[in-house]
Amino acid sequence: MFRWVDHTSELELEIEAASEAAVFAEALAALAGLVGDGDGPPMAREVEVAAEDHALLLVEWLSELVYLSELEELVPERIAALELSEGRLRATVEGYRGRPRHLVKAVTLHRLELSGDDDAGWRARVVLDV
Amino acid sequence: MSELRQLGEVLWEVPAAARADMRVPARVFADAELLATIERDASLEQLENVATLPGIVGAALAMPDVHQGYGFPVGGVAATALPDGVVSPGGVGYDINCGVRLLALPTTEAELGKRREALVHEISRSVPAGAGKTKGRARRGRELDEVLLNGPRDFARDEDLERTESRGRLPGADPDAVSERARERGAGQLGTMGSGNHFVELQRVERIFDEATADAYGLARDQVTVLIHSGSRGLGHQVCTDYVKRMDSAMRRYGIELPDRQLACAPADSPEGRSYLEAMAAAANFAWANRQAIADGVRSAVARVLGQGTADGTRQVYDVAHNVAKVEQYDGQELLVHRKGATRAFPAGSSEIPAAYRDVGQPVFIPGSMGTSSFVLAGEPGALELAFGSTCHGAGRRLSRTAARKEIHGADLRRQLEERGIVVRSPSNKGLAEEAPFAYKDVERVVEIVERAGLSRRVAQLTPIGVVKG
Repeated sequence: MFRWVDHTSELELEIEAASEAAVFAEALAALAGLVGDGDGPPMAREVEVAAEDHALLLVEWLSELVYLSELEELVPERIAALELSEGRLRATVEGYRGRPRHLVKAVTLHRLELSGDDDAGWRARVVLDV
Repeated sequence: MSELRQLGEVLWEVPAAARADMRVPARVFADAELLATIERDASLEQLENVATLPGIVGAALAMPDVHQGYGFPVGGVAATALPDGVVSPGGVGYDINCGVRLLALPTTEAELGKRREALVHEISRSVPAGAGKTKGRARRGRELDEVLLNGPRDFARDEDLERTESRGRLPGADPDAVSERARERGAGQLGTMGSGNHFVELQRVERIFDEATADAYGLARDQVTVLIHSGSRGLGHQVCTDYVKRMDSAMRRYGIELPDRQLACAPADSPEGRSYLEAMAAAANFAWANRQAIADGVRSAVARVLGQGTADGTRQVYDVAHNVAKVEQYDGQELLVHRKGATRAFPAGSSEIPAAYRDVGQPVFIPGSMGTSSFVLAGEPGALELAFGSTCHGAGRRLSRTAARKEIHGADLRRQLEERGIVVRSPSNKGLAEEAPFAYKDVERVVEIVERAGLSRRVAQLTPIGVVKG
């Protein structure tokens, strides 16, 4: 589950999920809703990102999706395979080649948070510069 | 809220003692009414966070158009002492050298007459809006290196370069400090406007406040002007992204602890700091080349609609950056001045400004929100005394984009603007609504405050007659 919290000049994404992997899937869904536009042939991309901590890994993940939408016009729709290990994420992202809105300038570290466990659930917060 | 005390008619301060981690005070230029707006979001807390940066001197400053950002507030100025003080990529922002350029046509609004709509249309054809990866001029490999090193030098008129802050080229740029990904994002974007609040606006000089200075700037009542607002596009966004990450990782090594991770910084003279400054200069040069390419597009539109003679007579008044960090001297000390949503505003006598303007001060352009007036200001001595040579940069957002969209539909806004005689071209009604005039603070009040504070003075007021939105 995700929701957007609107600030004066940026967008804050809040995510609640049952597992850490689901946090990354929710982040993709949120971004897809934000930039998705147009329609076109199906498209898939392998994504691999690494970071020093998992909150930063979430930033890297979203940054990669922003990059793919800007350079390859990928509107992401789902994760076909996700492998999450210490400081590393590998995934196959499926979607279509559309006309994604170039709305997101960058994914920031402002108020960045990712915490939780599989019993109590996971929460994340990330702020986008738009 | 922290203890704000009034230092002057339009100057307020949170003393450094307000928080254990503040190294200098946080100061805000505002009247009581703007201050009330400012206190409604997190700008002041963010400004106090800026006051904790290692090496910061004087005060962390907020202009009257300040609003909450991420890390630094937008409308903030912070100077750090070199060589030990830090550089913070977040203190420049993602859109490195976002800025504005003003062109003046040798034409009055009456002379333009019914060709106005055609001119707006031709500008929209010449300057790709929204965002696209291949719509702009392609620059790759060595051609892109040339732009990163030297800005628009190889394709701009000399008189345009002369009338550009830093002559459109920050020294010390190193293309090798710019990642391959940043280069890819920027490669096809030269001459494109981008989205969000970027625009090209056709205007009429509505009012002159200072005849002598307006004359020096070549501006007269009823003259047609074009204001260009854009930046370094995806290339700059990626440079900032890359270096925020690199500094976030390096901070522990330098023993730097900050209240907000987005303020990530490193000593300016460290390997990370030097490398960022080289990449930032390259991105700034790219942004000046971008606004030059847009200006070329505007001139070609002018040529098609009004003839080559009018295009040749379309002069550049000036071009200013409002997201950049620059090395400047204050009281014999070398400082790195971060301006994030703030404009350099050097007064008369400064050797940094074109000879033609040296008796009147540097031009500064303050875009209003879409459909409202913009202002031409001139730098005043107070800017040097109080604000590290800086003034405001715009109206400043008041409402979030969603809140703006809730208030009005893009199609209705388009109709309202056209009823007021403003020709609108925008790829997206949604994007148009997000930039509705009421989403911004009152620009007239903002410029009145910087004038009362002695940072800059009003020279001319420009009213929109056509707008091409990003």
